Amino acid sequence: MLRKLLKYDLENIFKFLIIFYSIGLFFALLTRVFFSIENSLVCNIIAEICSGTAISMIFSVLINNLMRLWVRFKNHFYSDEAYLTHTLPISKSTLYLSKIITAVITVFSSVGVIGLTLFVAYYSKENIELLKSIILPIADAYESNITTILLAFLLVLFVEFAVILQAGFTGIILGHRMNSMKTGFSILYGFIAYICTQVFAIMVIFIISLFNEGVMNLFVTNSMVDINIIKTVICLSISIYSIIFFIMCFINIKLFKKGVNVD
Amino acid sequence: MNLLECKELEKSYGNKKVLDKINLTIPRGKIVGLLGKNGTGKSTLIKIINDLLTASDGKVLVNGKEIGIESKKVISYLPERTCLDKTMTVDKVIKYYEEFYENFDAEKARKLLADLQLDTTQKLSKMSKGMQEKVQLVLVMSRSAELYILDEPLGGVDPATRDYILDTILSNFNEGASVIISTHLISDIERILDEVIFIDGGKIVLTADCDELRNRENGSIDEIFRRMFKC
Repeated sequence: MLRKLLKYDLENIFKFLIIFYSIGLFFALLTRVFFSIENSLVCNIIAEICSGTAISMIFSVLINNLMRLWVRFKNHFYSDEAYLTHTLPISKSTLYLSKIITAVITVFSSVGVIGLTLFVAYYSKENIELLKSIILPIADAYESNITTILLAFLLVLFVEFAVILQAGFTGIILGHRMNSMKTGFSILYGFIAYICTQVFAIMVIFIISLFNEGVMNLFVTNSMVDINIIKTVICLSISIYSIIFFIMCFINIKLFKKGVNVD
Repeated sequence: MNLLECKELEKSYGNKKVLDKINLTIPRGKIVGLLGKNGTGKSTLIKIINDLLTASDGKVLVNGKEIGIESKKVISYLPERTCLDKTMTVDKVIKYYEEFYENFDAEKARKLLADLQLDTTQKLSKMSKGMQEKVQLVLVMSRSAELYILDEPLGGVDPATRDYILDTILSNFNEGASVIISTHLISDIERILDEVIFIDGGKIVLTADCDELRNRENGSIDEIFRRMFKC
């Protein structure tokens, strides 16, 4: 049943995302074509416009992905479509898991398309050198290489994004337990859930810092912190966010299993 | 074992009690009318049975088991609003039902849709509300369920189609299955009912066999309802 649900959920989200993916890639391609035409002011202006549009599409992909997942969650579980969803012979946890797996898959694909858009629009030896020159000092300062720095950064962003998504789902579940102003309460509870996850993450790092002087330096000094401490904190952050993600998933399924109140 | 049992069922919104200690039993092979004025708790009761609302207290048992996956396999529910994904075509919705409900008969659905001259290649969003409701009714009645729960099945349908819908209900539910129809269009459905349940202020005020009630009160169910709930 999970596979069948996933098929429909993914189809529903991708149906809209593919439009943004296509527009982004189309303008990335135009950017590349017009930038390749040399000594033409008009082509340069068109290339700048296309470049701007491609960049705005990158943000649209991320925002749309997030919003569509939340809207789909709300419509599927608390609006008219909920009358069909909750009467399907499927457990509540399977229904919820379908939404989470859809979220993870679509976010991965969006990140991939964003990477591809940037590659199509801007890949050139000079740009790669420029990127290296920006990241290399950071990598050198921390005795690391560019790839590791980029991967760590992307991984932290991904788990953070996943936690934001879950916080939104928590907000929608809790908000729809109220008798009125459900959308307002959903936003409020979602925001509170997100703040709680951040406070929890900082608290865990602070507790660890009580036993580790190096980590404590993050809280008490502004000076350059040792690379090993930074690595420890990045690993800790990824682990804590991953743990928070699974804890929230567990809590949301528990809340969901308690029953819904569909208008 | 009774098909459906509600025991001391209660639902409150804050201090407002919408259902108050509902005790109800639905046997097999009956068509039951759940009748009441607007806002008396009919839809709330139906939604609790279908796991769309959480009861404040009490129990709902289907075939002796609490509401869950097993109860959803045997209940075919027609909500009062369109619950289908309107971006889908009718063909796709049929496929959806086929994938999720083991007891769904796609051939039967296509035959009923053809009878109603509904184009299965059309998107639901391009159909009128009445047409969407007909599609939904066909999907619900094409399941070989044990209990059909129809919430206002005639609400958005023109009078000429109402008879066809009632005949569809009569000729498409299984032997041994039961139907609960919630409506306030009593005169339209009276002819097909075996039993009636009158609900008012969140309480069941009357449960009776239709023929017995007509003989006892000397009038149609519609007249008895009007007399009982006169404003």
